[in-house]
Amino acid sequence: MITAMADKPETDGIVLTEAQKKSRRQRSIAIALALGVLVVLFFAVTMVKGPAVLVRPM
Amino acid sequence: MSVLDQNALDINPRISEAEVGDYIALLKPRVMSLVIFTALVGMAMAPGHFHPVLAFTSLLCIAVGAGASGALNMALEGDIDSKMSRTANRPIPRGRITRPEAMAFGLTLSFFSVMTLGILVNWIAGSLLAFTIFFYVVIYTMGLKRWTAQNIVIGGAAGALPPVVAWAAVTGTVDVEPLLLFAIIFFWTPPHFWALALFRSDDYARAGIPMLPNVAGPDATRLQILLYTIVLIAVAAAPWALGYFDAIYGIVSLILGAGMLVLAINVYVRRERAASLRATRKLFAFSILYLFVLFATLLAEVVFRALAPMVGGA
Repeated sequence: MITAMADKPETDGIVLTEAQKKSRRQRSIAIALALGVLVVLFFAVTMVKGPAVLVRPM
Repeated sequence: MSVLDQNALDINPRISEAEVGDYIALLKPRVMSLVIFTALVGMAMAPGHFHPVLAFTSLLCIAVGAGASGALNMALEGDIDSKMSRTANRPIPRGRITRPEAMAFGLTLSFFSVMTLGILVNWIAGSLLAFTIFFYVVIYTMGLKRWTAQNIVIGGAAGALPPVVAWAAVTGTVDVEPLLLFAIIFFWTPPHFWALALFRSDDYARAGIPMLPNVAGPDATRLQILLYTIVLIAVAAAPWALGYFDAIYGIVSLILGAGMLVLAINVYVRRERAASLRATRKLFAFSILYLFVLFATLLAEVVFRALAPMVGGA
């Protein structure tokens, strides 16, 4: 059993192709940018509204 | 090796190769651009000062909410999109994105757009945006579209709501002016989509969607297009007739309306295959220009009014 495992290199889990790696990287960057925009948006609106940030109609 | 290990090796999970562009296509960018533009007009018309950062936030949320609706629509219509030449190139029929992926994407964007608009701007606008998404996805896509030939008439309300959401973002209320914008888009929708349905009737028949030309026939559709166009002309002139806008807008709306009417009559009169196809395509193309120019005129008048005191005072 040990000999057989040593002869045949095993891969851990799923191995992604180059295309899959590239698209996953693109998607990760897009998600990071979207989250960054969200953070900047909340920061900017908080600065604009000042202490009134929690005062909204309804 | 245990049975569990063997099963784990047998599983061949689908690894997505979807690129960012595929996800952008899910948002229906062309529809989104019209939504942003009509919302911008609704926002510009609203009284009172609105900080540019809040204006940007509101437009972004409305745009993302519209895009989310598009993604959810595509997730729910993957089966019929693959049967229609107009929609066969969308990411789901092409196998770029799965329906559950599109559904997750759409739901995530819906949640974030509504919550962001509600938290950062106001909850009237947030609630209206949530209702718009609900109406488009649940009422129109899941209900009306496959059920009745009046699908796009009632469903048109979803496409007409963005200026109302934008107005509510500024004022926290809903008034007559945004409802007039709503009415214009609402009555514009049937002539626009039925013109498309006339020259794509084979597509819709193949997909089993009960569009008016497939249910009531092309002649009945031509008559409905004409009648809705007449109503549209009257509704489009209302902002001027009711005194909200000047004669310039009134004249532009009537000239554009005359153009729509001529093309709608053309569609009604020309029944032969080739001539009918040309007439419906012309009406479809002009209807897009019609809405764009009409709203651009409204925007121009609002901007002119805002700038006039500064120019006069200088």
